[in-house]
Amino acid sequence: MSSERLEVRGRHVDGAPVVAVRVWLRGGSRIESTPGQALVTGRLLTEGTAQRSWREIATAAEGRGMALAAFGDLELSGVAIDALAADWELAIDWSAEMVLTPAFPEERCAWAIRHAQGELASLADHPEASTSWAFMDQLYSPHPAGRPPQGDPASLASLDRLACRRFHERALAGGVIVTVAGPIDPAAAESRVRERFSELTGELGEHPSPPPPDAPEPRRDWPVPGEQAHLFLGRPTVARADPALPALRLLSVVLGAGGGLSGRIPYRVREREGLAYATHVDAAAGAGLDPGRFVAYVGTSVGSVTRAIECVREELATLIAEGVSEAEVEEARAYLLGREPFRRETARQWADLMAASVHYDLPLDSPEWVVERLRAVDRAQVEAAAREHLDPDGLFITVGAPAT
Amino acid sequence: MFKGSGRYAAGEIDRRTRELGGSNNAFTSHDSTAYYFSFSSEHWLEALDIEAERMDDLTLDPEEVDRERQVIEEELAMYESDPWDALDKAVHRVFFDDHPYGRPIVGKRKTLGAIDAEELRSFHREHYRPDNAVLVVAGAMGAEALARIEARFGDKEPGAPARRALPEPVRPTCADRVERRQGDVARLLLAIPSPGADDPDYAPLRLLLTALGGPRTSRLAAKLVEDDQLCVGVSCEITESTEPSMAVVAAELLPGVEPAVVEERVQAELARLLSEPPSTDELDRARRILVADWVFGVERIHQQALAAGLAVCLFDRDYPERHLARALDATPDDLARVAERWIRPRQSSVTGWSLPE
Repeated sequence: MSSERLEVRGRHVDGAPVVAVRVWLRGGSRIESTPGQALVTGRLLTEGTAQRSWREIATAAEGRGMALAAFGDLELSGVAIDALAADWELAIDWSAEMVLTPAFPEERCAWAIRHAQGELASLADHPEASTSWAFMDQLYSPHPAGRPPQGDPASLASLDRLACRRFHERALAGGVIVTVAGPIDPAAAESRVRERFSELTGELGEHPSPPPPDAPEPRRDWPVPGEQAHLFLGRPTVARADPALPALRLLSVVLGAGGGLSGRIPYRVREREGLAYATHVDAAAGAGLDPGRFVAYVGTSVGSVTRAIECVREELATLIAEGVSEAEVEEARAYLLGREPFRRETARQWADLMAASVHYDLPLDSPEWVVERLRAVDRAQVEAAAREHLDPDGLFITVGAPAT
Repeated sequence: MFKGSGRYAAGEIDRRTRELGGSNNAFTSHDSTAYYFSFSSEHWLEALDIEAERMDDLTLDPEEVDRERQVIEEELAMYESDPWDALDKAVHRVFFDDHPYGRPIVGKRKTLGAIDAEELRSFHREHYRPDNAVLVVAGAMGAEALARIEARFGDKEPGAPARRALPEPVRPTCADRVERRQGDVARLLLAIPSPGADDPDYAPLRLLLTALGGPRTSRLAAKLVEDDQLCVGVSCEITESTEPSMAVVAAELLPGVEPAVVEERVQAELARLLSEPPSTDELDRARRILVADWVFGVERIHQQALAAGLAVCLFDRDYPERHLARALDATPDDLARVAERWIRPRQSSVTGWSLPE
């Protein structure tokens, strides 16, 4: 990882007259001391600065058709600006203003906390999302990946503007990544960023590692509203930089992450058995600094839960016992290679990719590197990844279903 | 359409798409159905072959139809368990009464149970014809593209029946209400009539609704979310349909907030659109937001193809530019005029509430 306090990337992207500016601070809920702190702090970046109130910022942005978003998630906090290309300098200047001189006004902090509490109440009304977080808690708790970025109502209530300011200072100390993409001169954009963010100098701060997950319980039953059951099966797999990740990406496609109704699990659950409308699979969901997870989701009727679990387990058992065919591996590889150009179409995608490249210290924004990495995987590696990570007897299960 | 046709067995279209590094999907609205593919440019002819074949050689195996019916029943259950989807369905039913816009696109359990392969075959034969379809290809398809399309579709038999005129939508003639109980959070969906999307009133009304319920400084967002802090979120949307339809104000309340208070404030802001139409500043801001949304919305080639397809299918190829020009040309007087004409919630609206159980 770079030792620079400020990392800057600019890229000329032809196409629509849109410029995207991303400012990522290496500090999300992984380093928060109170659940919800990263999210509330991140959101407060657009809620007032030393120069302007939230209303002045929002009025000016909307008056230029600019989309401002401030965020705090598991690994990062920061701001994202999408603007018409003519406003690229303004977008850089405003991003610096929000990140370097946030005011954390007390009344906006109180509102951000109350708003996040409202979001948690809303989340509980959505059975799939609610079950998904129960599953994440089962897999990862007490690691912060196991909880919604909002934390919980009580932890939110204990936050105040000083806690947010302290968190922001820690996040800034961890390093800042700024990317700019669009129909711009990259050198001019990078120069402007360096000038506006010039106060970011000095040593990088060290963040402690978050607590590791406890051993998960094998099965969790989670009461949800509605009539349908929501089934999550999975287990932790690998982090983003792990050499096994490309093989797991191919496995994801073989199992059902390839879109449409293709892939072993959707084909079995939806097409052959007619058990579900919604089903999705990913063998490395959320892989980041910490391990992601294999997850298979099935939305089905309460009476079909047992059958759906059997189907997923049987498909994984068959995969491990019989392996995958060369044709399947080649098909999955062709799919992932074919999708690559579509991940690099827009200024917004490039700005995100460049920032992710710096954050993970991987050349994710290099098509050649991504293609080479996928081409290097062979069938034996895919099968080895399946044996290591997809044991059907080692799955953890959360079933969200109406309380009886 | 994905379950077998001529050379493609059930599931083969998806498998072939994946093998070529592409993606595909489909969606249905009240006005149209769209099928789409995105491939890197060397493979786009495969999509053309698939569409050409399934236009007149669809298998419709009865067993596949039965399985798909089961799947759609699960889809129905999924929508019903989502509080917004369930409320939207209830409001549509009351707002449109027997008009087709009031029917859930996914159908109902009873009607789904009665549909068999033969009925689907007849529907497909009648409507899936070249004179009832629009084909859009966008991207680096080469100079021979039109000849290639002609080669695959040129000999297909037209014969789709003239598009049936829909019955005139019955606008609510009073301030109707619908209430349901689901979950722990209160949600409001207030629907008012709106013109069809090619009506000259549509663009000014869209601007008016952006000023009312767009981003943070819009009237409702500022009042209900940012200042009085009663709601987690509020928004306004207007349906983009061929026929007159509906515009909605949606609000999700914070726990403990009295629904009547929010409803009263929404009504007050709707009334204020008539007594105090948006200022020049508000109009300029709404216009800028609309233009930026349009630019952001056509960044991808896929989005450009979709926008062109829907424009030609529902209106004509000049529709997007015409709509944008109307929005850019709209004056404060235009907004006042459309407010007077369309914002009559006490005379014509459906107020839907999803309240805590």
